[in-house]
Amino acid sequence: MTINRRHFLGTSAAAAAALAAPMVKADGHGKPRVVVVGGGAGGATAARYIAKDSKGEIDVTLIEPSRMYYTCFFSNLYLGGFKEIEDIGHSYGTLASGGVNVVHDWAIGVDRDAKTVTLAGGATVAYDKLILSPGIDFVEGAVEGWDLSAQNAMPHAYKAGSQSELLKAQLMAMPEGGTFAMVAPPNPYRCPPGPYERVSMVAHFLKNNNPTAKIIVADPKPKFSKMALFQEGWANNYEGMIDWIGSDFGGDNVSVDANAMTVTIDGEVTNVDVCNVIPAMKAGRIAELAGVTDGNWAPVNAIDMSTKADPDVYVLGDSSQQGDMPKSGFSANSQAKVCANAVRGALTGSRVFPAKFANTCWSLIDTNNGVKVGATYEATDEKIAKVDGFISATGESADVRKATYEESEGWYTGITTDMFG
Amino acid sequence: MALEGDLEYGEYLASECTTCHQVDGSANGIPSITGWETEPFVTALHAYKAKHRDNEVMQIIANRMSDEEIAALAAHFKTLEN
Repeated sequence: MTINRRHFLGTSAAAAAALAAPMVKADGHGKPRVVVVGGGAGGATAARYIAKDSKGEIDVTLIEPSRMYYTCFFSNLYLGGFKEIEDIGHSYGTLASGGVNVVHDWAIGVDRDAKTVTLAGGATVAYDKLILSPGIDFVEGAVEGWDLSAQNAMPHAYKAGSQSELLKAQLMAMPEGGTFAMVAPPNPYRCPPGPYERVSMVAHFLKNNNPTAKIIVADPKPKFSKMALFQEGWANNYEGMIDWIGSDFGGDNVSVDANAMTVTIDGEVTNVDVCNVIPAMKAGRIAELAGVTDGNWAPVNAIDMSTKADPDVYVLGDSSQQGDMPKSGFSANSQAKVCANAVRGALTGSRVFPAKFANTCWSLIDTNNGVKVGATYEATDEKIAKVDGFISATGESADVRKATYEESEGWYTGITTDMFG
Repeated sequence: MALEGDLEYGEYLASECTTCHQVDGSANGIPSITGWETEPFVTALHAYKAKHRDNEVMQIIANRMSDEEIAALAAHFKTLEN
């Protein structure tokens, strides 16, 4: 769907109310203004770095509806019982203390001519540079039989928080010997190893609490991230529990019935006790409303994450179409720092340094059994291009796997401090 | 070997490090890199670059660093207290 970027203003009474609403930051001292939409790994990091490094020279407003942010990364460890929900929740108080104007509201429109963002609460926020980092939304109709009205019966748990708690509660309530089903997403999607780490964590929980239970995964793909590592881990730790059905075996022909609690894979109907549906993904809605998407994602310039559509609008993280980087929290955080440096340079004349990107994704297979995949990237005229990479080997020693898991715990502390202060 | 490190460039480059390493010098699972003297810091990064140290993340991060960038990072992290 294409929406004219002025569409939201329309001619209605709501538009008049929006125009009459006070500016969120109307101190009128002429400082350059950066508005960031979305307070996750991309947006929180960008807001924090611009505020911190500009030392008050730039007004930074962060628009994020949630008062508590639950990280998707490590939410699988919560499902597995390795973390509590409190461990993955973060507030925005430290960012606010650090000079970021944190506004808890939904951005519902962008007028790129007037350079304003409209909020659901009625306010209008003006920007010189706009950074959109809204994460993902789901493609409607991606899984036959599933829509938002079904997400309580069949949670996605792919935006962490209440959905994660729901899926955990359903997992804990599974009958003895019951069936857990997952409908995995097609490429590209947030956190490529995420569904398979989740399968591992569910299997870990079931092995300890419900060892005769089964896991079925219907996958629209013929292969997946860290496949050899996960399949080795599943065979060694959860033998006979996990049935992965890839597209070669009908995993791409799936429908669900949330009332009957059935999953139909290639014509075969299975009764399930828990069903985790992870639909196909697209850029967060505000990127589409801003008119900077092309298809499902927002194409960006690798050098600074500015959109192809508008040099004053930047898109970070999952929503961006940037090239070789996976959609991950680490990637978003990395892109945010390149973007923050470029935006600050453009607004204040500070030095702009070469874009450098990196990503590492750690996954937990079982207790003290961590694996990782990572790469470095550089900006080319065409895209963010991979420079160098690595992946954990199959058959690694228990000591190496334990060190990898411990490293992931250190990273979690590091990145969440880097995001939220 | 004493390259003068560009502190401002070092601060920018360090933002890549602080995705994992903590600015306050605390460490759980990932070592502290704050408050190091220049020489051991530079030596460690060159050892990762040459794959004489065996962490894959650090090997690929160090692999694309120039001598100037390593010097800049060393200068920056030296200024941070443990």
